[in-house]
Amino acid sequence: MKNRLKILRAERDWTQAQLAHELEVSRQTINAIEKGKFDPSLPLAFKVSRLFKMPIEEIFQDDA
Amino acid sequence: MSKFFDAIACKGLPARDIRNSNIVNMWALAWVTTLALTAFLSRYEWYSSTFPTMIGFVVHSGIGLAMFFAYKRFLRELDEMERKIQLDALASSVGMAVIGFSAYSILAKAGYVPELEPSYLIVLIALTYIAGVIIGRIRYQ
Repeated sequence: MKNRLKILRAERDWTQAQLAHELEVSRQTINAIEKGKFDPSLPLAFKVSRLFKMPIEEIFQDDA
Repeated sequence: MSKFFDAIACKGLPARDIRNSNIVNMWALAWVTTLALTAFLSRYEWYSSTFPTMIGFVVHSGIGLAMFFAYKRFLRELDEMERKIQLDALASSVGMAVIGFSAYSILAKAGYVPELEPSYLIVLIALTYIAGVIIGRIRYQ
């Protein structure tokens, strides 16, 4: 699954650690999501969506 | 090499997860201590009577149950990627234990190796679990 997390984070000038703190996950989890190594759960995806005030499908896109 | 040490140190986990992990570690230490203590005391004749044996059984089992519930809570509240790593590692350790135990029992029945002791199984599960966690953390770095 592709995502725009890194771009959205950079636009707000946030570090991975800051975003991790906001989402209550580890910095490693943010790093793995940004690199596409780990797909977040639905609750975490909704949390990301609420934080960036954007629909989920604008942040996460299916590879297919 | 730094990836390996980062994987062991579990740097960056939320404070809640580190606190829960320390609680599990303390119960695990107490559980291993009671196991070692009962193994040590079993050398003495007075310990083989019913009352001290039952005390040892109840204390060891009670601490084991506390460790189990602490680990369940740790997994439930854990960061979701770390939870996936832990569950993958648990699956590997259970799989290795079942395969290793059954393969070893064939050799033991044929007399090639000594009879399996429960401690071998605990060590095998612990080592494969630790290896699984470290490999998982490196994979997601």
